[in-house]
Amino acid sequence: MEREVRVWDNLKRDTEERMKKVAHLVEEGKVVKAENTVALLEGVIKPGDKVNLEGNNQKQADFLAECLCEVDPKKIYDLHMVQSVVSLKSHLDVFEKGIAKKLDFSFSGPQAGRLADFVRDGKLELGAIHTYLELFGRYYADLVPKVALIVAFEADKEGNLYTGFNTEDTPIIVEATKFKQGIVIAQVNKIVDKVPRVDIPADWVDFVIQSPKNFYIEPLFTRDPGLITDTQILMGMMALKGVYAEYGVQSMNHGIGFFTAAIELMLPTYAEELGLKGKICSYFALNPHPTMIPAIESGWVKNIHCFGGELGMEKYVAARSDVFFIGPDGTLRSNRAYSQAAGHYAMDMFIGGTLQIDKYGNSSTATANRVAGFGGAPNMGCDAKGRRHSSDAWLKCGLEYGMQEALLGKMPRGKKLVVQMQETFKEKMDPAFVDELDAWKLQKNANLDIPPVMVYSDDVTHYITEEGIAYFHKCVDMKEKMAAIRAIAGYTEIGLQAKEEETMDLRKRGIVKTPEDLGIDVTRANRSMLAAKNIKELVEWSGGLYNPPARFRNW
Amino acid sequence: MLSWDELQKAKFTEANARERAFGLVDKGTFTEFVSPRDRMPSPHLPVLGEAIGYDDGVVTGIGLIGKRPVFVVSQEGRFIGGAVGEVHGAKMVQAIKLALKAYEDVKVKYPDSYEERLPAVVISFETGGVRLHESNAGLLAHAEVMDQFQDARGKIPIIAVIGSKIGCFGGMGFVGAATDVIIMSEQGRLGLTGPEVIEQEMGKDEFDASNKALVFRTTGGKHKYIMQDANFLVEDSVAGFYQQLQEVMKLPFAEIEKFRRIGSKKLVEEQLELVKLAVGLGAKDSMDVWKYYGNEDPAKLVDMGPDEFLKVAKRRERKLG
Repeated sequence: MEREVRVWDNLKRDTEERMKKVAHLVEEGKVVKAENTVALLEGVIKPGDKVNLEGNNQKQADFLAECLCEVDPKKIYDLHMVQSVVSLKSHLDVFEKGIAKKLDFSFSGPQAGRLADFVRDGKLELGAIHTYLELFGRYYADLVPKVALIVAFEADKEGNLYTGFNTEDTPIIVEATKFKQGIVIAQVNKIVDKVPRVDIPADWVDFVIQSPKNFYIEPLFTRDPGLITDTQILMGMMALKGVYAEYGVQSMNHGIGFFTAAIELMLPTYAEELGLKGKICSYFALNPHPTMIPAIESGWVKNIHCFGGELGMEKYVAARSDVFFIGPDGTLRSNRAYSQAAGHYAMDMFIGGTLQIDKYGNSSTATANRVAGFGGAPNMGCDAKGRRHSSDAWLKCGLEYGMQEALLGKMPRGKKLVVQMQETFKEKMDPAFVDELDAWKLQKNANLDIPPVMVYSDDVTHYITEEGIAYFHKCVDMKEKMAAIRAIAGYTEIGLQAKEEETMDLRKRGIVKTPEDLGIDVTRANRSMLAAKNIKELVEWSGGLYNPPARFRNW
Repeated sequence: MLSWDELQKAKFTEANARERAFGLVDKGTFTEFVSPRDRMPSPHLPVLGEAIGYDDGVVTGIGLIGKRPVFVVSQEGRFIGGAVGEVHGAKMVQAIKLALKAYEDVKVKYPDSYEERLPAVVISFETGGVRLHESNAGLLAHAEVMDQFQDARGKIPIIAVIGSKIGCFGGMGFVGAATDVIIMSEQGRLGLTGPEVIEQEMGKDEFDASNKALVFRTTGGKHKYIMQDANFLVEDSVAGFYQQLQEVMKLPFAEIEKFRRIGSKKLVEEQLELVKLAVGLGAKDSMDVWKYYGNEDPAKLVDMGPDEFLKVAKRRERKLG
């Protein structure tokens, strides 16, 4: 029998052909001049390609994004963009100009309103909204990029990259692209003779371009302690006493909002007073939040692994290598994929704010006219079903799980703590508790398959409002869950449906606890509880190592 | 609420309007006029479906500093940004009217020693000016406060205390500037058009409102102190302001009046000189002006604590003796 002759390296041949077309654009080593970038892109990209444009939570390949908008849409069209974050105007301009057609992403932020319009008007075909890890996973399955347009601080002429403090998504994008015979183009702030350390090795990179301007980076994780309210402090005290202390939670991820900022600033004060030092909050998957400085300086924290960096924290982080992950060159290496993996599997708790909670206890930050996505929150804000190691907090939460026996019989299993915090009313007297999430309206407006829910009811273990904590996981069925939601929903329409005897029964059984039940003196819930009351005090705590961006300098 | 002693140690930026009113006068001497128990909210806000405050965002009352009755007005930035509506404005006006009445009473009752018992008005500003929800009434309130200032001229001192989060902006920026004495902290800010509005009208190149360091350099206490817009710069604590008030109260009224920045032809001329300077100097940043007034390394002043700043900062020299 004659063996069929087949070609097994089509991808490689295709790439080689593309590389030949642009060979004349390369100067020394792998360097391409900034002014030749558009020509380079037109040479290596073909219509219909999957293109990864590195848009992280923080750093942005903004120059390459702008250049991609300038390619000739007659030559390059129907691109399928796969990228974690859509945050720059140019990220959507490529769709407006007919260069790109389809999008798979995780988070949008400032472009969320425009993105919803584009989807509705048919300017953009939306693949799916993912969590970060989910999207990264698909880079290695059905969404492998053919071309990756990435960003680094520095490169040498051979193409070694230094991504440093803000490594974020770069390694996982490059590995997926390069090892499937794709093409990697990096914009860098500076081409140097020798990079401080090699974050991406040269043979994984095809072209390096020194961009005319430094890449854009957003300080997303800086919360000014001056803006923390007394209510947030009260809820933080409730969380510390009713959850952190109750379960002895040692490892966790904190959301980026003011609730967790308040908690971070009360570790050296209220939590210290409760005698919790060493018993909680030793390990974090967390960006370098400036509000963590007082807790770190007071010796609370053993270990922090970072998704990304945070502007102004470079020197402070570098000087605390016992706590952060620091390279041989002395600077932080962040990595979103690893930190998300840690957040999902190695952390006992996810705690953060939300926007809306429905009567069933589903929680979402989606609004009717913005396709924002949730980034990493759903990945960390869910029970890790594949988890097999145990810890005290995980076991205790599992023991209390009201539906455990119905699902597993007599088999013991732990449960991750997923804590959602929200005041009963948001700004402009907008109720946080609703009959139906705005996510349903968004599903209709943007023509999505399902309403975008951040954390589903069966993953949430605790809801905290200023009225109390619902130990949601203790409920035995949906009927009881709905009663627990009503009990802490205050004067919202959902809350007004609470029946007194029902709430009293839940309180008796420890499913609902008010500040009084927790033994918290409400009059102490004021800003004097905060270890630092403004950005300047954070600088003082850091011994002058923290250098806040101008927009946070209230002096 | 913190006790008077605790308040003295507290940061002024952290204190709410009521705490400031209590803490700026001698211990245990403050009595509030029309307190929240009397329930005097804005009649206009409910019509617009907005939340009300039983004090309409301002605390007024009387206390003592030494022998002098002090009429306090203290604005609450956490209620609609301290914006002035009809009731809020009326409370301000009435507090000053009562101070003027007290002035007459003191003169009759203590003909020989009335100078040391002279009443004063202290206004702790925290406001963006007119409350847009009740615009005309709010504007009118500004004018009426100014009228009271005119009535008080030559009789009792009106002292501005500016060190709260919102600062003193909009129409109330004019009102603040029209007082006899201005005491600020580094965190206090004084101006007319708010940074966001300037950016919106003139563009980000003219003024980048998100650059808080720039905003504070331009409108904050240090700049106002160097420019002599603020007479005194104190540390960000209730005690800092209270002690400075005590010092001012020790001065004879004629001395206090010399702190004024506007209110006579000569003073207006002095201000016009500054306008000329602003054009002529072509300053891009307040630090250029600091340098012009003899501060060799102006960038150093930005991060300096108040004690050291007061020692080294060089100020514009005032022409009037």
